[in-house]
Amino acid sequence: MTAEMTVQIVMAAVGALGFGLLFRVSGSRLITLALGGAANWGFYLLAFHAYGDRVLAFFLAALATAALAEVLARLLKTPVLTLLVPMLVPLVPGGDLYYTTLALVQGNMEAFARFGSLVVKEAGAISFGVILVACAVQTVLKIWALARKKTI
Amino acid sequence: MEQQEQILCAILDAGEALLVSGAEVARVEDTMRRMALAYGFTRADVLTITASMVVTAHAPDGAVLTQTRRILRRETDMRRIEAVNALSRAVCAAPLPLDELRARIAAIRDMGGGAPWRMPLAYLLIAGSFAVFFGGSVRDGLAAMLCSMVLYAIGRAGARIELQPIVLTVVSAAAMCLAAFLTVWIGLGQAPDTIIIANIMLLVPGIALVNSLRDMIGGDTISGLLGACEALLRAVAIAAGCALVLMQLGGAG
Repeated sequence: MTAEMTVQIVMAAVGALGFGLLFRVSGSRLITLALGGAANWGFYLLAFHAYGDRVLAFFLAALATAALAEVLARLLKTPVLTLLVPMLVPLVPGGDLYYTTLALVQGNMEAFARFGSLVVKEAGAISFGVILVACAVQTVLKIWALARKKTI
Repeated sequence: MEQQEQILCAILDAGEALLVSGAEVARVEDTMRRMALAYGFTRADVLTITASMVVTAHAPDGAVLTQTRRILRRETDMRRIEAVNALSRAVCAAPLPLDELRARIAAIRDMGGGAPWRMPLAYLLIAGSFAVFFGGSVRDGLAAMLCSMVLYAIGRAGARIELQPIVLTVVSAAAMCLAAFLTVWIGLGQAPDTIIIANIMLLVPGIALVNSLRDMIGGDTISGLLGACEALLRAVAIAAGCALVLMQLGGAG
């Protein structure tokens, strides 16, 4: 792990903590959020290291983070959304949204198309990860409820 | 007003508190249905979209009551969501008397925003950390923090004059970009791009997008589409606001 990655992970943690404050998450859960934000960027770095593809790494990181948030939310008895959004924040493609706009106003259509499609792909990858986990959780919970009903 | 109507009204108050605090639609509907059944209604049909709520409840004596609410402004507040959750669990265990229910809902509504330093601190932390996260120097981080205070001030002022969220986003993004170039001009910031990107993170509609995805998966397609549309509009508004400033100064960065 390079020094740059360490800085990024620490800053992801601080950023997630900031979003926790912004959404008025209370007390000790803020620490969970900070660690979750760090884990999120850690997942991304690992996935990028393994596959070398930015969009795929976004998808895998979103998938792992969403699963982590679902588990933590049940352990802490808090709405999933409380944890999920701040933890996912380091993945938000704000940078590429900016470069898309910059390319547009500079009249650089080639860069505009490149960054624009990157934003769409990244947002899509995050959404797909979140959606898959939501589907999986719903399926597991229904089966779990059915199994419990059968045994009683 | 009859007792049952008042109870239904109080249940709608609880649902409204959830919805304006940024809870998922499924959670709002589920909470209201459970509370209505706990108060002895034999059947409760709840429809919630991000802009409106409708409840029809059947009383044991055969009366059918319907009430609606229009929802205008939402602001994410997890403490309120948790407080209404706790209240709904208490009601389902043992229905509270009407006066106490009203008092507890009023207490949740008047909770306030917590400590006054909480929001500015959140802005500072987010802008500063993401400036460094995206490869900026410590000076960029400080400049981004300065710009985030501009965003905070405009957000407060916009809420005071009840500016539409989309308009507020355009104005905020433009002012923030201007402030970023200003910090570079006075010699504090080094990379205006990084400073602007860090502050864009504060404007990005993360909650709206994730919420809408979860709504659609949960079967609430209309709410999901409304939310996704809102998120897309916000992203375009951010780009538009930045473009206004970048058209003049974009080449200089």
